[in-house]
Amino acid sequence: MIRRTAWVLALAAVYGACIAVVEPDLGRLWAGLPRLARWLGGAFPPDFSGFDDMLRRAAETVAIATLGTTLAALLALPLTLLATRPVAPLPALYHPARAVLDTLRGIDGFVFALLFVAAVGLGPFAGVLGVALHASGSLGKLWSEALETADPAPLEAALTAGASRAQAAVVLLIPDCLPLLASALLYVWEATIRTSTVLGLVGAGGLGQELKNAVDLLDFARVLAILIVIVALVIAADRLSAALRRRLV
Amino acid sequence: MLEVAGLVVALGGREVLRGVDLSVAAGEVVTLEGPSGAGKTTLLRAIAGLVPAAAGQIRCGAPAGLVFQQHALAARLSARDNVLVGGLGRIGFCRAALRAWPRPMLAEADGCLARVGLEGLGARRAGRLSGGQRQRVAVARVLMQRARLLLADEPVASLDPENAAAVLDLLRGLARREGRAVLVTLHQPELARRIADRRLRMEEGRLWPL
Repeated sequence: MIRRTAWVLALAAVYGACIAVVEPDLGRLWAGLPRLARWLGGAFPPDFSGFDDMLRRAAETVAIATLGTTLAALLALPLTLLATRPVAPLPALYHPARAVLDTLRGIDGFVFALLFVAAVGLGPFAGVLGVALHASGSLGKLWSEALETADPAPLEAALTAGASRAQAAVVLLIPDCLPLLASALLYVWEATIRTSTVLGLVGAGGLGQELKNAVDLLDFARVLAILIVIVALVIAADRLSAALRRRLV
Repeated sequence: MLEVAGLVVALGGREVLRGVDLSVAAGEVVTLEGPSGAGKTTLLRAIAGLVPAAAGQIRCGAPAGLVFQQHALAARLSARDNVLVGGLGRIGFCRAALRAWPRPMLAEADGCLARVGLEGLGARRAGRLSGGQRQRVAVARVLMQRARLLLADEPVASLDPENAAAVLDLLRGLARREGRAVLVTLHQPELARRIADRRLRMEEGRLWPL
């Protein structure tokens, strides 16, 4: 009973602290509701004029996600091998490699894209670099977990046969875990599609660019049309990824 | 071929092997029997170099290869690729990564499969082989390793009697015909009697003759 009360008090303290920081003001929400309703009313019917441009931006979004995920895979592979305990060729680098993966995963692709827009200029290339860095962290984490949970016996058999850890990883472990690794790659691609839909808000290309332009012009019919395209794109990517993953695993 | 003297192995702060003395000669089949947890697997793993010794000596006069209880094959790889793993120590990283196996090694792998009675099954995925066939692939892998000392850890534990007898006959044949030394752990005394030149019993980390 005392333990339960302590949990309730702790939870109340956490929520109290959150509310103190955020200072939610229901009065402001109430005052803003008519404005939201007016915008929503103005959004109908959605404005699909210039649909070709939307499709071009949607294609750009898919391209950013696909190239970004591919680059992420190339970056993640060596980090994964360093951060997978049974095959790590240099045990001293195990924890640093894990820390690098955690850092890459901890910083959102949106933030990386913001930095790359400043570094390489506006456009989808900055988006590719941004999502690649974040996705490499996620992918490396998923891959190293998949490899670490694999049956260690074949690996031990290879080591007793005189194979190096790196050889055993490349010849035995990775091919044997390929369905799981490919599934993780598809999952990250699917998540990167979602991230890529908003990269345009920081000038890194894709559908988000169209969205930002429409919001800046308070053109809510256009905003709704773009949101419909985004939702359709994300659902299509989810379905495709899920179908492929089902076949793989 | 194998000399073990005063071997002590501690795992997790507990002495699993308490001064084991053992020798196995070329062409000899020695069986290790005993209850689960007696230290049989640890002894084999220590000889194979997978477990460090706290004290004592292990002298192997020839390369040792370990046949694992659950065959330890990569299920998605072909039988031939699993056998080739036994030769990884003989090629460099780049060749291995590119799967650019030298032709003589490919022929040797096929030869190893033929010697264990799996001729023509090299391309089949290990996961699609029967339990007995998988254990034969595991034996072929240690042959590919050119191991003169075969360490087999409960190699027939998961096999039906017919396949178990076939795998044990295979091990005995490798000792008789090719002069390899075989040290095998078994649970069933009747199987041990079938193949052993010498039977040993392990209890609480110590070995006794039977």
